[in-house]
Parts: sequence; C-alpha cells; structure tokens
Amino acid sequence: MYRGREGQWAFYLHRLSGLGILVFLMLHVANISSAMWGPEVSNALMKFYHQPVFQLGLLLLIAGVIYHGFNGLRIILMDFTSWGVRYQRQLWYGVWVLFVVFYLPFLVKIGGGILGGSHGD
Amino acid sequence: MAIRSKRYQEARLEASTNLELYWWVFMRISGVVLVFLLLGHMWMNAILMDLNKIDYDYVAKRLSQTTWKIYDLLILALGLLHGANGLRYVLDDWVRNPSRRFWTKAVLYSLIAFLFLLGSLSLFNHDFGVN
Repeated sequence: MYRGREGQWAFYLHRLSGLGILVFLMLHVANISSAMWGPEVSNALMKFYHQPVFQLGLLLLIAGVIYHGFNGLRIILMDFTSWGVRYQRQLWYGVWVLFVVFYLPFLVKIGGGILGGSHGD
Repeated sequence: MAIRSKRYQEARLEASTNLELYWWVFMRISGVVLVFLLLGHMWMNAILMDLNKIDYDYVAKRLSQTTWKIYDLLILALGLLHGANGLRYVLDDWVRNPSRRFWTKAVLYSLIAFLFLLGSLSLFNHDFGVN
C-alpha cells in the first residue's frame, strides 16, 4: 500500500488517533449519561473531569480529532480523484497546515486555561 | 476481509461482499459529515464556552432543544458506527487468532451497542426538568 515515509506515518497516526477518539467517546457518553442520576452525581463527575490533567488529555484528544478528520479528507481525495494518490505526500503536509490553523485556537484557549490555573469552582 | 484499496473502482473489485463495499462507502460519507459536526461541537463547547463552566445546567439547557438533540444523536450514531467499523479493521489486522478475534469483537460490539443505548437514553428519554 504505502512504502514507508509519510504515507506510513499518516496511516499509523490515523489508526492511533481513531482508537483514541473511540476510547474518549465511550468515556464521554458515560460521563454525559450520568445526568440520568441527577444533578449531584453529574456535577460531581464533571468537576472531577475539570482537573488540569484531564484538560491536557482533552488537548490531546482535540489534536487527534482534527488530525483524523483532515487526514480522512485526504484519504477521500485519494479515493475519489484521479490525482489524489500521486500527490498523497503533498496532501499530507496540507493536512498539517490545516491542523495548525484549526488547532491553534483550542491550544490558546484550553492551554491558557490550564496555565492560568482555572479548574472550575 | 476489509478492503485495502485506495480507489472506489478498485474497492468495488476487491470487495468480497456487497456489505463490505457499503461499509467502505459508509466510512467516507460518515467521515465527511463527522468532520463538520465535530469541529462545530468542539468549537462550541471549548472555544465559545469555557470548558470549566460546563455543568449539569449547561448540558440540560442545551439538550432541551430539539436541534441539539438531533445534532448530538447524529454524532453519537455516526461516531459509534464509524468507530466500530474502524475498530473492526484494526482487529482484523492485529488479532490473528480466530477465536480470540471473535470474542474480542463480540465484547466490543456489545459495548458499543450498550453505549448507543445509554447515549440515546440520556438524549431523549430523560426529563432534564429545564425551565
């Protein structure tokens, strides 16, 4: 399929980020569904997840989602255009440009929050 | 067997069954939709909203609106299906022992079905009591 280099990295990172996102989605659904046990349980759990260590995890997750999403679009371009496979390497660098543009606001907002010592109440 | 082709035409030839081809197409379509849904979801809750202020009331207020129920249900359904099928590709590649692969899949599919039920219940079947 790919012979090393960028394509191989794109593939591994896609799988790794995909698995990471799935694990998060499971925790996220479990967390949100805690609302069914009432505000006290729900708020306690959310406050637990507002600790800085989980916000770092969230920064990693958002990076994973943005990479997986844009690399997914790259895969689609390779699948459905006549030129996509030929330019897969250039497209991968395009993915990283888009990644930086979209990730920066999250990095500033959430990263700034962690550095500013904000963790809920 | 999962499709490894990078072209639709080749994928059609390689597909062992029609079902396998439909999954291949589904991954692309759901992927495009999820990119937009998730960018919106993350932007709203992490940039427009302060993450640390998210609590029961905020979630309840948002989920009292039908639009957000549908938006989140789409993410839940497409995300879990996309993730489950992606996981199937990974397991087909990595778990070589047939019986171990079967049981790993059985456990993970059950977990995903349970999470879909749990997520849908919290979206629709729960009275948040919002004013």
